[in-house]
Amino acid sequence: MEPIEIGIYVSIGMLGMVVLGMRVAFAAGLAGYVGLVWLRWNGFDYDPERFWKAVEISTKIAGLTPHSKVSAQVLSLIPVFIMIGYLAYYAKLTTALFEACKRWFAWVPGGLAVSTVFATAGFAAVSGASVATAAVFARIAIPEMLKIGYNKQFAAGVVAAGGTLASLIPPSAILVIYAIIVEQDVGMLLLAGFIPGVFSAIVYATLIIGIAMIWKNVGPPVTGFTWRQRFESLPPALPIVAVVVIIIFFVYNPFGDAWGTPTEGGAVGAFIVFLMALYRGMRWGQLKEALLETAKLTVMIFTIIWGVLIYVRFLGFAELPDAFASWITSLEMQPIVILICILLAYAVLGMFMDAIGMLLLTLPVVYPAVMALNGGENVAAIDSAFGMSGPMCAIWFGILVVKMAEFCLITPPIGLNCFVVAGVRDDLTVQDVFKGVTPFFLADAVTIALLVAFPGIVLWLPSLAG
Amino acid sequence: MAGSAAVLEDSSLLSKLDRMLLPVERFCALLSGLAIFSLMFLAAYSVTARKFFGSPLMGYVDYIEAAMPVIAIMGVSYVARDGTHIRMDILVNALKGRVLWLFELISVLLMLLLIVGLTYGAWEHFDRSFDCTRPWCSRDSSIDVSLPIWPSKLVVPIAFAVLTLRLLLQAWGYGRALVLGLENPVAVPLSLTVAEQAMAEAKILEGAD
Repeated sequence: MEPIEIGIYVSIGMLGMVVLGMRVAFAAGLAGYVGLVWLRWNGFDYDPERFWKAVEISTKIAGLTPHSKVSAQVLSLIPVFIMIGYLAYYAKLTTALFEACKRWFAWVPGGLAVSTVFATAGFAAVSGASVATAAVFARIAIPEMLKIGYNKQFAAGVVAAGGTLASLIPPSAILVIYAIIVEQDVGMLLLAGFIPGVFSAIVYATLIIGIAMIWKNVGPPVTGFTWRQRFESLPPALPIVAVVVIIIFFVYNPFGDAWGTPTEGGAVGAFIVFLMALYRGMRWGQLKEALLETAKLTVMIFTIIWGVLIYVRFLGFAELPDAFASWITSLEMQPIVILICILLAYAVLGMFMDAIGMLLLTLPVVYPAVMALNGGENVAAIDSAFGMSGPMCAIWFGILVVKMAEFCLITPPIGLNCFVVAGVRDDLTVQDVFKGVTPFFLADAVTIALLVAFPGIVLWLPSLAG
Repeated sequence: MAGSAAVLEDSSLLSKLDRMLLPVERFCALLSGLAIFSLMFLAAYSVTARKFFGSPLMGYVDYIEAAMPVIAIMGVSYVARDGTHIRMDILVNALKGRVLWLFELISVLLMLLLIVGLTYGAWEHFDRSFDCTRPWCSRDSSIDVSLPIWPSKLVVPIAFAVLTLRLLLQAWGYGRALVLGLENPVAVPLSLTVAEQAMAEAKILEGAD
């Protein structure tokens, strides 16, 4: 049997296990392990006496993967970013940030909703947790909006959509994971996420102001804050801004040399949030809880990483990614049409699967194909299909798939953020939230189209740093 | 944030064993958490020393690489205990009773098969670098400050051995539920609906905010 056939059968088997509810990390790891045994035994012409030899060799290959793959310094960025998120809860940054945004932005039409978008964007960026952010702001922001007469569905939609801004603005664990899987520069990916993330938040804010100007009763402005009150609200919310700015400056400093590595930037950011949490009264019990939660999420993510990397090792032997890339490039379609089809496939897949699991399972096969579509890993911009060099294409595609993964959180019928907002508030049904989120869903679709049509939005900042 | 599920308890032997294993798992996870916390100080110290005092921390990368297996793998069983490892649960959530327990049992047995294999493979990986006839019992060491690598390799089979115990308990729990036709078995993660998860999550954050 050809290795490629074994690759296809094992991959189908893995998808079967995932659909039947097996934990993604273990389904990928088992598929890789079984695949390695099968390939090796295939190499021994299925000699029954050499079956255990094939098992032994494959066990050794699979068994060294968890240690060898997780012991990389660059991966240390993931736990640091996750810890920032958990400490941020204890630093009580949510209410501080919402209050600051309210005092500065609530005077515009739909002002409280605009404030909510900026506060959720800021907090989601630092906490890195879209769903949790939606849960927190459903409690903080929705009551305030309802109090001054906001439409209930609209208020819920704002919170559900605002939570999705987490993954692009640094610090973003999912962009780090993407960079590691596709072996690209982590710092460049983090930089690239900044403008699209802020751009998405501005699109949301513009949309809200537009809606509030057309339908006067949707979101009345809130006025009456003095400049003194505004400036007083800034210091408690400052750590959020500090974390984002520090991480960017550790990757790219427009005024000179970068300050250090992204991990160091993350660590300094975490340290600031930690001090803030201590100042806000965090004690050992809460710190222990935050560390346990950080460990839990970190280990969960790393389990998928090493599980998938066992599968990737097998895929490499089976030569499946190369075959898939050849097939994709042989299709008689415009490369951009194929890319759009791939993004739409992610939109569908994202409805059923967690973003990290979805990206890690698919990227080993899809990413080489996208690179091949553009003309190869090292293609120059002038010779490429998408008008950008190989490394820039890798960055652009990363931002697009991560944006798609976030988009799925508010996509009917199972957008998780909408369920979470409805779950936290007794007075809202899921249908209410889906209705309220519809304008944001459409705005996101437009944003993604713009990111596809104008890659410069994504690539401008990395090109300055590169 | 990772979604987790409820684990029920009662006075049965299985539940007792579940509760006996939990502190071990919690300790392992706390080690992961403390390693992450130390990593924060180490990196912040490294950058401060380099930027402001012109003396970079020797072996910074070596220390981080040695800590990564503790950070990434040590708590793997704690995560498995309440079902935090992600999965696609759309089909499983539609199942009930014995069919559900059958699916869960098969899933856990497959995981067990993988982890038993990996425990052996990871032990072999450790064993190749452990040699007590050499200084620090080490056949290989890190580049900058010559840290022995075997301790970080040993973390993996230890964590996987604890996970093996956890998976055995879960296989027992699901097997028992399948045979006895139980509705709410103990010592296994029971799926929560999205709304239940959201409520639980908001409750946790209520204490923090």
